[in-house]
Amino acid sequence: MQVVIERRPTLLLIVVLGLLFVLMTFSRSTRYIGETRTMFERTVMTVFSPVPKAVNWAGQSTADMYHGYLDMRRSVAENLELHHQVLQLTEENLRLRQSQGDLARMRSLLSYSEELPTPTIMAQVVMLDTSSRFKSIIINCGTEAGVEVNDPVVNANGLLGRIVLTTHDMAKVQLITDSNSAVGCLIERTRRQGVVHGDGSSAAQMADIPVLADVVVGDVVSTAGIDGIYPKGIPVGRVIRTDQGKSLFKAVWLLPAVDFSSIESVIVLHTKKIAPEVVRYTP
Amino acid sequence: MRWLRFIIGLVIALTLHSLLDSFFPNALAFFNPYVILVIYYSMGGNLLGAIVAGVVAGLVQDSFSGAMFGLHAFSLTFCAYVVAYVNARLALRGPAAFGACLLGAVVVNELLIYVLVNILVKQRIEMFEQGMIVKTIFTCIFGMLVYLMLSLFLREEPIEATKRPAY
Repeated sequence: MQVVIERRPTLLLIVVLGLLFVLMTFSRSTRYIGETRTMFERTVMTVFSPVPKAVNWAGQSTADMYHGYLDMRRSVAENLELHHQVLQLTEENLRLRQSQGDLARMRSLLSYSEELPTPTIMAQVVMLDTSSRFKSIIINCGTEAGVEVNDPVVNANGLLGRIVLTTHDMAKVQLITDSNSAVGCLIERTRRQGVVHGDGSSAAQMADIPVLADVVVGDVVSTAGIDGIYPKGIPVGRVIRTDQGKSLFKAVWLLPAVDFSSIESVIVLHTKKIAPEVVRYTP
Repeated sequence: MRWLRFIIGLVIALTLHSLLDSFFPNALAFFNPYVILVIYYSMGGNLLGAIVAGVVAGLVQDSFSGAMFGLHAFSLTFCAYVVAYVNARLALRGPAAFGACLLGAVVVNELLIYVLVNILVKQRIEMFEQGMIVKTIFTCIFGMLVYLMLSLFLREEPIEATKRPAY
């Protein structure tokens, strides 16, 4: 056999080709009756199947790694974008909250200012100095807006003080808690009049209340309209303590109606001033 | 050793076949790595080895393709035998000889497949001429590159070149 193979290779070729032709014919005939793979074909496939499997595994792994890398890059970019959006939305949220607060304050001020009989000017506080004994604020309206010295300044809660200095576009307000401030007031329950002075702290004192006057803690104090500056009826504060004292007058302490540490918007009341000659007139 | 190298070559061809099937499903219509392997092996001039190489490579190709089992084995065996027979007598060497053998083998291989399919299945292969030209060009280019790389880096002649039997 060995000799035949080595001496007659052409004969071997013919035999092999003949066998392959038979195999082909058999494969063609079985292909149409359901069994598409002969046993011999299955054997060859089984022997060499690790190669396509390995290639498929390697290709799949590479594709997975590549897609994983792409997904990771996409996630990083998305994360950055979302982080940026969070910052933007946080900023926007803060702005909207501030606007919402401003709107509420403005509505409150507007409704209050509509109740007032005198012309009003809305203003924003640009500086606040309540740390020293002299309490004042600076507002962003001046003579250009019609603000004048001695115009009362209020907000929706009550009286703040009066204008003591004006410039073209700003004005300085002396608060009622300033130690140099004095406001003619009355106790609403008993109509007893007195003068409210600032004590340089966050409270105020009401002077000129006789010892026998009926004043109790919780009484509401408002402007009396007798000093030529403040109109009548603006809330000033509430009595928090009374002291009989040793003289003819009581010591009465007030908690101002306005929280001076959180003033943002104010209303300047443009009142009609009493002429100086009238004030100075003596018969 | 020569068979080990052939098996490694066959595994590489099958890997290429699988890769091309995975990424470019129709690529094997324009390129045939098994022909390169078989012709490279047959350039040694060993007729028996050429027949076995053609049968094995062809059956592997048939197993992993949709063709009739034995179709490529038939054509590759024939081509391998012819190349080995010519080399056994003329002792062709060098890239030009390899390129010429490869070119002829690809054309004959395609013609044989065309004839066999016509005889057995009685089907015409669509765009046969165009497909054959493209496949010949790409297979020859790739085969020449493989041949040059093997010659440069492995410093070897085609397998069995120095053990040619005296037929």
